[in-house]
Amino acid sequence: MARVNDPELTKSRLHLVVEEMYDRIVKGEPPTMTLPVRTKTNIAFDSKLGVYKYGKKRSTRDATSLGSAKNLLRALHVVEFIEEMIEAGKSSTLREMYYISEAWGLGKFGSQNESNNLAEDLEVVTSCLREDFKLRPEEDGARMIGNVTLRELNRRGQWMTINARDDVGDSGYGLPYNVEIEKIQLKEHDVKFLMAIETGGMFDRLVENGFDEQYNCALIHLKGQPARSTRRIIKRMNEEWDLPVVVFLDGDPWSFRIFASIAYGAIKTAHISEYLATPSASYLGITSDDILAYDLPADDLSSKDIEALKAELSDPRFADGWWQDQINMMLEIGKKAEQQSLAKYGLDFVTDTYLPEKLEEMGLA
Amino acid sequence: MRLVAGIAEKMASNQKQIAISEFFEKNKHFLGFDSLPRSIITAVKEAVDNSLDACEEARILPDIHIKISKIDSKKDILELVSEDNGPGIPQTSIEKVFGQLLFGSRFHAIRQSRGQQGIGITGVVMYSQLTTGKSTHVLSKIASEPTATSVKIGLDTRKNKAVKSEQNRIIWENEDLTLKEHGLRVTTRMKGKYQRGRQSVFQYLRMTSIVNPHAEITFIDPDGERFHWPRVTERLPTKVDSIKPHPHGIELGQLQRMCRDSKDSRLSVFLRQNFSGVSMRAAKELCEAAELDVSVKPKSMKPDDVRALLEAFQGERMVSGKIVKLLAPPTTCLSPIEEMLIKKGLSKTIDSKFIATMTRAPSVSHGNPFQVEVGLIFGEGMAGDKHVEVLRFANRVPLMYQQGGCLLTKAIESIDWRQYGLEQAGGRGVPKGPAAILVHLASTNVQFTSEAKEALSDNSNVFEETRKAMLEMGRGLRKHLEKKKKMAKTREKFELINDILPAIAEKSASILDRPVPDLSGSITRIMSAVICNETTEWNKETKQTNVSITLFNYTSRARSYSVLVNWPEKAGGEMVGNERGGRKEAMGIWGWKIETLEPGTQAIIEYSLSNLEKGDWTETDVFFRGSQDVIGATKLDEKMLEEIRRLEDAFKEVDDVVSDDGADGASSFDPGVVDGDSGQTTLFGGDV
Repeated sequence: MARVNDPELTKSRLHLVVEEMYDRIVKGEPPTMTLPVRTKTNIAFDSKLGVYKYGKKRSTRDATSLGSAKNLLRALHVVEFIEEMIEAGKSSTLREMYYISEAWGLGKFGSQNESNNLAEDLEVVTSCLREDFKLRPEEDGARMIGNVTLRELNRRGQWMTINARDDVGDSGYGLPYNVEIEKIQLKEHDVKFLMAIETGGMFDRLVENGFDEQYNCALIHLKGQPARSTRRIIKRMNEEWDLPVVVFLDGDPWSFRIFASIAYGAIKTAHISEYLATPSASYLGITSDDILAYDLPADDLSSKDIEALKAELSDPRFADGWWQDQINMMLEIGKKAEQQSLAKYGLDFVTDTYLPEKLEEMGLA
Repeated sequence: MRLVAGIAEKMASNQKQIAISEFFEKNKHFLGFDSLPRSIITAVKEAVDNSLDACEEARILPDIHIKISKIDSKKDILELVSEDNGPGIPQTSIEKVFGQLLFGSRFHAIRQSRGQQGIGITGVVMYSQLTTGKSTHVLSKIASEPTATSVKIGLDTRKNKAVKSEQNRIIWENEDLTLKEHGLRVTTRMKGKYQRGRQSVFQYLRMTSIVNPHAEITFIDPDGERFHWPRVTERLPTKVDSIKPHPHGIELGQLQRMCRDSKDSRLSVFLRQNFSGVSMRAAKELCEAAELDVSVKPKSMKPDDVRALLEAFQGERMVSGKIVKLLAPPTTCLSPIEEMLIKKGLSKTIDSKFIATMTRAPSVSHGNPFQVEVGLIFGEGMAGDKHVEVLRFANRVPLMYQQGGCLLTKAIESIDWRQYGLEQAGGRGVPKGPAAILVHLASTNVQFTSEAKEALSDNSNVFEETRKAMLEMGRGLRKHLEKKKKMAKTREKFELINDILPAIAEKSASILDRPVPDLSGSITRIMSAVICNETTEWNKETKQTNVSITLFNYTSRARSYSVLVNWPEKAGGEMVGNERGGRKEAMGIWGWKIETLEPGTQAIIEYSLSNLEKGDWTETDVFFRGSQDVIGATKLDEKMLEEIRRLEDAFKEVDDVVSDDGADGASSFDPGVVDGDSGQTTLFGGDV
């Protein structure tokens, strides 16, 4: 699945959703909306694409309870709103749509989470992307530093050539929310691999220590759970330049999930996994072994952490042996550690010792 | 005028040796004058108790004004003015009432009375005299005289005698210059400290107003702030009969005194005439058990004989191995507040959404009749994270101190309140939440833990009754909450079919540019039920409670039902404007037949209830007979209906014997709870 990029096709697919409801009423039945189940129980590995996709389980949202009836009404309002934008040549952010819904009376959203979810639902049902719907995310794109050269189409319609090492300051190159070919072109590079980093503190540490030049790599800051555009640009660099991707995160259950969303696809966006996920990405650390091997200062797992780890044990994306071992080991030691706990051994330990050792294991240094 | 026997005796016997000041100093803790904040509360309490009692006796609806002002802040001198519209006191009796230490005139009479606490208004006069040297001013007007008596009452502390001064007759005018018909005004100065909070004059008056819904109380505090608790019922508390003591509840000293004072010539006659529950047969058996001759003259009985008689009373001495059987004492000596009035009393002082109340049937403990009433009020206006407010009362008198040590508190603590939506650590202790719990014990013999008379002492009978009352009230609360939940669900369904579904139809039609489809099929499929919607609303203009019941058939088949409702027939309500007719099914139960209810149609039953006050009837229970379930109504339990009919017959029999004064609360029936042991009907509260 990719962008439809055809307003008429987008509209007609949205109309199918509306028709389902309309036809049910005409037949004297409660209106419905049918969509894939969007939980971990309904994701399966697609061997052709190498990523996790939604399975065959469908759920029917029908108007027999007030909550789902309201959801159907909201969906109709969103469809109408999208059509209006397509016709007027406008776009809006998801947050703006949430506020616009104030005027939708009974169909207004209770929270922004609801409107985000509904936009995703419509993507899933219509096989369109939110870009087709003229909806933009709020989330910032990532920052990147390293010897890679990109071309970006600016507001004035000019292509600018930017080298993410020489043409940027210490905060790096900021990626826009749209990183598709019509906006960003990958020109050239002189790096051996791409390293995705969870925290800003660690990103800045590696930048200050000149790690990107020393090891000939590009650094990309994920800002926690990475935005679609961040995952998309990683995927593009991996595919178009054939660059290996390593992911350097905290050592806790939530980092495992971040990695899964980069490498295998996120549960919420499994309908577009093949477009966002980088199956060849590898997890560099912090691993459960690292906590013991480097004797890192660690915090006790909270009850929520433990719950999350247990849920991961039954998540198909973590079904392989290495992940099961990592998760079980973390449960066993009952500890988690942050990336920056490596500073226990000094500011340069991470760049002089930890990363070289890990990269060597991976055959990248 | 009311004095506790112990104090009075102590005073009488020691009169010569102890000066009043000394007596006061020694006993101030149980006279209620042990601290400056408490002294002013006690003074207010004595004045208000007197007013309420006097009004009750004279069958006047009380209107009480209390004003406290600061006279000298440095020396903590306060002035208390208390005024009522009671019968007043005849000039010749004023001295007695305010200045003389008498045995209470009701000493031998047993009935529920407020005056089981403190030393009475005389104590206030004494305290005032001792702390400020000033006498107390009394203004009294009785209806039969044109002018009022104005007099100052002091105490001669050396002679322990009341002294009056400046007595004259004046014209007493109200604020609007009309003549005051009757009433009493007491003005007194004393050392005291005015405080706010849980133990304060304000709280005392607030609590008093809750259990005296027939009283109008106005209070002006030292800052000039005015508080007003309006009268919410015109109904005075039931007049109580006094009863004779029951052998099970008597103590040696009292029995000795009764024998000594007796003029009867035969013990059997003495027993029958001076005690309740003693029949001719029982009198003879008691004599036999005590090994006394029936013809013994009570006055000449020796201490050992009296003791033997007491042992026979208590079942320690038996007749041929059997305890002498006695009848239970009559319970007409009790005056409960009654559920509907507790509800009103609570709702006037606390803003709330829900009130449940429960008045248990009278019961007997050690020969003393008693009755427990409880009320629970739930509301947004109260703090949700604090312990609930516990409002304790004994014979309509607020108990403000020693909450933890009180039997009533312990009964509250023994309930697991979590099932009723309150927080409670471990299911024990005073629960937390936005609620207040009221407990009232009406009894002819209230037992306190100490002379301070602020906490009730342990008594397993009272404890059990209190627990039962609260559990029953809790059940009512749970039922109400369940009903509310069900109603919310029904409301949701209505919103779904009346608002959301039409919007979906319109919006989808407009997006697709097609005609708006007909919804009836979808509606039937979504609801697939018969739904009942009930509203019970007070109409200000007509002063009637309007009830409307709508039955919607959202199924695909025609239906037939009988619809039944409960209504306050017993409380004197009248059903008017009931155009559908129907028939009486039982006391307080009316029914209508709905022959055919076609698919997609509705039937409406409407009527009004007159002869009720606002808040008397706020929720109607709807029941049905029919095969298809009705959402929003309860399937009628025929056994329950039988039970009500049976009870009704039983009540009729009772009515033939004892005249009913109409003071009974409303009855309702509850198919979920069958109260087999006492056969009493219960009224659960509703929205206010």
